[in-house]
Amino acid sequence: MYRSAARRLLPAEICRRTLRLASPTPFSAPIARRAAFSAGPADNPQNHRPDNTVAFNSSPSSDERRNPRATARPKAHWQEEQTRVLQASLGHVIRLGWTEFAMVAGAKEVGVSPSIVGSFPRKEAALVEFFMDDSLQKLIDIIDTKEDLKNLIPSHRVSKLVRIRLEMQAPYISKWHQALGIQAQPLNISTSFKQRAMLVDEIWHAAGDEATNTDWYVKRTVLGGIYSTTELYMLTDNSPDFQDTWAFLDERVRDAFDLKKTLEEVKYLAEAVGAGMGGPVQGFLKKVLQG
Amino acid sequence: MSMRSIYRGLRMNHSRFLCSHLHSHATSFGFKEVREEDKSQMVGNVFTSVASSYDVMNDLMSGGLHRLWKERLVSKLSPFPGMKHLDVAGGTGDVAFRILDSIHDVAHRAVGDIHDDNLLEETQIFVCDLNPNMLRVGRKRAQERGLGGNKSLIWVEGDAEKLTFGDGSMDGYTIAFGIRNVTHIEKALAEAYRVLKPGGRFLCLELSHVELPIFKELYDYYSFSVIPKVGELVAGDRESYQYLVESIRRFPRQEKFATMIAEAGFQKVEYENLVGGVVAIHSGLKF
Repeated sequence: MYRSAARRLLPAEICRRTLRLASPTPFSAPIARRAAFSAGPADNPQNHRPDNTVAFNSSPSSDERRNPRATARPKAHWQEEQTRVLQASLGHVIRLGWTEFAMVAGAKEVGVSPSIVGSFPRKEAALVEFFMDDSLQKLIDIIDTKEDLKNLIPSHRVSKLVRIRLEMQAPYISKWHQALGIQAQPLNISTSFKQRAMLVDEIWHAAGDEATNTDWYVKRTVLGGIYSTTELYMLTDNSPDFQDTWAFLDERVRDAFDLKKTLEEVKYLAEAVGAGMGGPVQGFLKKVLQG
Repeated sequence: MSMRSIYRGLRMNHSRFLCSHLHSHATSFGFKEVREEDKSQMVGNVFTSVASSYDVMNDLMSGGLHRLWKERLVSKLSPFPGMKHLDVAGGTGDVAFRILDSIHDVAHRAVGDIHDDNLLEETQIFVCDLNPNMLRVGRKRAQERGLGGNKSLIWVEGDAEKLTFGDGSMDGYTIAFGIRNVTHIEKALAEAYRVLKPGGRFLCLELSHVELPIFKELYDYYSFSVIPKVGELVAGDRESYQYLVESIRRFPRQEKFATMIAEAGFQKVEYENLVGGVVAIHSGLKF
């Protein structure tokens, strides 16, 4: 007990002293502090480098959320444990809903004190956001591994991907309205928007869309709308295996692609008209149309 | 000013490493230096003398705000039915009652879970205090609240530095306005770490340091001029409240204390300032 305490304290102390020697001004204090914060129970001296980012107040998964494709930085031990708890909690959502009770049950399941639930700043939101991140990761894995997706035409590929993603929340459908409610709360809404934007982005990306002009916004808004309306349609769909939902989805995607075609036709027409009216107008129209 | 704080910082570090070698060493009692063995005795005297008027004084000094702070502490803890919780230095039961209320509230909301009644009975909240007088006040208040026969509340006389609970036996550990009075803060933190289960949380509510320029002047004036007078008038004890305000100034700053918590082994160490740092809630997670 005392030996382990000494082992914990000693490296931190050595580190702090060396830091002080290196820069004897009071400004070295924050660095020293940072180094000391990373002290864990079974730490070795290497973990006491000042650049260690296990500083207090770091939000759990904001970095990963921003870019799920980026190679995840090694998580701190407590973050891994939190993830384990969240993963186990999902199994209790059907019975207990997207609530802290499900999280307590999840913590008990993995043998961690349910007290850990209190360490999530926005409890139920953390669970929903974890599910969204987790599902997106699964979708990305599917996009990367499934070959037959690449053979589909873009419109089919889009509707197939939306369907795969929505099927992931099918088991939770009886409680999904609750999750939507949590996502719509003022404190959580910015994260929900970000997560949805990322999801839509992934799907367009997988559909082979590399556009960088104003179309980009139009397309994402349209698909975002399709995704959300289908998600809502699904809530009240009682048909076996959500057949009605998928039919609805296919129609909406077809409409959107028709709209895309229509837009293109309008564009060509405008260009033709512009050509007829002469140089300056044509140049202006080109600028407008290409953004 | 910065020189002085550096000097103080060095001295505090120094004393921490010396204290393990020497039997006796000077520690702080307010602004006074006293021998280590005497501190807990002197703190004991303070609380013996203020026990009866403790809650009235808390209300008067903080303008009732201490209730909100304690609510905040409990909501950060987010208690659950079946919890084993240890509230150290909580003799008058203020925090323990709130935790119990919160657990009952949670249990009422959790419909559909049939095991809840058993879980409620399994709930245990240990109130640990060094001072029997404070515990007496707490027991009396429990009876007034109709919690006299409640099996969930367990009153224990004990030292934060030498807890009598087994390793990994607690889900939560709180200490509200208490750690300042402990002779060796790091020993108390090590004990907190020891008794918690993996995933258990440490939460500390403590009067802390104000940084905002003008507010700081006001707060200092209030602390050193008003509080001792109020203490004299209401509790009939100026010295105890003089000690109180001095001990707040001697307590490590928020960041420093967070470092100490991390050094005790806790992870995800965070703190939140309330009322610009008049009080701070530190929290840590054990793994």
